[in-house]
Amino acid sequence: MYKERINWKKEARLLPGYIVVVLWVLFTAVMLGWILAASFSTSKEIFTGKVLEFASGFHWENYVTAWRTQNVSVFFGNSLLYSFVSCAGVLAISAPAAYVLSRWNFHGSRAIRLGLLIAMSVPAIMIIMPLYTLAVQWKMKGRILLIVLYIFMRVPYTTIYLVDFFSTLSRSYEEAAAIDGCSPAKTFWVIMLPLVQPAVVTVTIFNFLSVWNEFFMALIFTSTKEMTPVGVGLLQIVNSMKYTGNYGGMFAAVIIVFLPTFLLYIFLSEKIIAGVTGGGVKG
Amino acid sequence: MRKNRTLIFFFMAPTVLCLLLMYVYPVCRTVLMSFFRVESLTASTDTWTFNGVDNYIKIFHNASFKTSMSNMMLIWLVGGVITLSISMLMAVILTSGIRGKKFFRAAIYLPNIISAVALATMWVQYIFNYDYGLLNQLVTLLGFDKIRWLGTDGKLWAMLAAFTFGSVGYYMLIYISGIEGIPRDMYEAATLDGASKPAQFFQITLPLLKGIIKTSITFWSINAATFFLWSKMFSPVQTEGSTVVPVIYLYDTVFGGKGVIERDAGAGAAVGVVLAVIIVAVYFVMNRLLKEEDLEY
Repeated sequence: MYKERINWKKEARLLPGYIVVVLWVLFTAVMLGWILAASFSTSKEIFTGKVLEFASGFHWENYVTAWRTQNVSVFFGNSLLYSFVSCAGVLAISAPAAYVLSRWNFHGSRAIRLGLLIAMSVPAIMIIMPLYTLAVQWKMKGRILLIVLYIFMRVPYTTIYLVDFFSTLSRSYEEAAAIDGCSPAKTFWVIMLPLVQPAVVTVTIFNFLSVWNEFFMALIFTSTKEMTPVGVGLLQIVNSMKYTGNYGGMFAAVIIVFLPTFLLYIFLSEKIIAGVTGGGVKG
Repeated sequence: MRKNRTLIFFFMAPTVLCLLLMYVYPVCRTVLMSFFRVESLTASTDTWTFNGVDNYIKIFHNASFKTSMSNMMLIWLVGGVITLSISMLMAVILTSGIRGKKFFRAAIYLPNIISAVALATMWVQYIFNYDYGLLNQLVTLLGFDKIRWLGTDGKLWAMLAAFTFGSVGYYMLIYISGIEGIPRDMYEAATLDGASKPAQFFQITLPLLKGIIKTSITFWSINAATFFLWSKMFSPVQTEGSTVVPVIYLYDTVFGGKGVIERDAGAGAAVGVVLAVIIVAVYFVMNRLLKEEDLEY
């Protein structure tokens, strides 16, 4: 194997491009770096511009304050609960439906497909008001309400996404299973669903990100601290900043909210990027 | 394969229930509500009184709603031109054969992964901060006086800059996948014919990306029409004229904001319908434009 030699003439021609992207990424890095440094500093250090000096050491207590006093632990726990339960719930509803839609044409199957496609692009503002009324009428509140909403919010996208993958599977799997006496439902859960595992993983990553970062419904439907997820919780922390004056604690809260999806991205960026352009976006 | 009706029924039922409960019924009720005088969302339907298009007349005579619509148009037009141009520039740079393409692509897309609330907080509390913010540090370094970035005049633009930064990565990914779909030999032939890089961009890349550009305009329009979070983060406590957008106006009239005396769910529904009509219109126009010229390559 020859080592690829650097073609300096080519690189020089690309220099303006390098400058633009490097500056952009540098700006991002400076922003994130400063926030991280500020989360370890005192409010006084932040205001005097001495964030990067750490003259008084690392203030880990900012994280302790954020986690305990400012209730980030509650928000964080809620968001984890919402994300995990919703992801599982969406799969339980969408995967069987996607399988059936990919296999059979039945009365109303076209309407359902079309309905799912339209539902994907219905803006939240068109449904939020009647949903609020329904929730009050049916006396649904608390965490369970948000979980149900998040599951239903992700069903159209997930179903549409999985239909394509089930369609690529050969019908010989089911035929073989039927000969062996396996019931159709069992065939689906034990044989067919594991076969689309890569698609399930991708769509679950997107569902997780979407639920973790959801803000609008959370803002409208959370009435108590006990059910508040991270997004709305962070807004409350920022709003109370005027009274607490604890800037270090606020930046610590920002880092805590930022970290889970960031870590996920570090490990899965290739899969996520491929999923963005692969699913749904067509010219 | 034999059709198994029981299986189809039990496997489809939850999804159909979801469609009806979460989408069909709410959308119908919102549309209906926009033609009635409805004070609060929890009021029973017996108290609804039909009042035709009064809700629509009311919102279009409301100063705050008119401001919100013009802010939305500014975000759509100015933000759209800037965001889509920067995204295209980044996509062209990243497909020009530079090293570390994967790293740059991942880094530029990163803001789309972060919680937008966290990202907006970073901008408000750091970049634009008057006392210790990044921009004012740069301004001081250059020997000028500090600027109030989040003053009434500049707030919309500050918000738009932050929003643009967060959005570029997504449209860049769409454009990259479009550019990578264009056959390489077209560029090779153009280079042999002596066409410069900019000429190649305007003569080959742009025309062939027409479909994808239209898709991205549709997406951007939807984002502009349903703009909410960034406005909430830049004016978190009280709604301000400088950052108000239709969804904020809807939120305040229906769920109550600071300084909102009278709640009006009917007017809120009318706002929702207006925005939905705008989105449907954009879809329709873009589809019409798309069908007219179908390029094959």
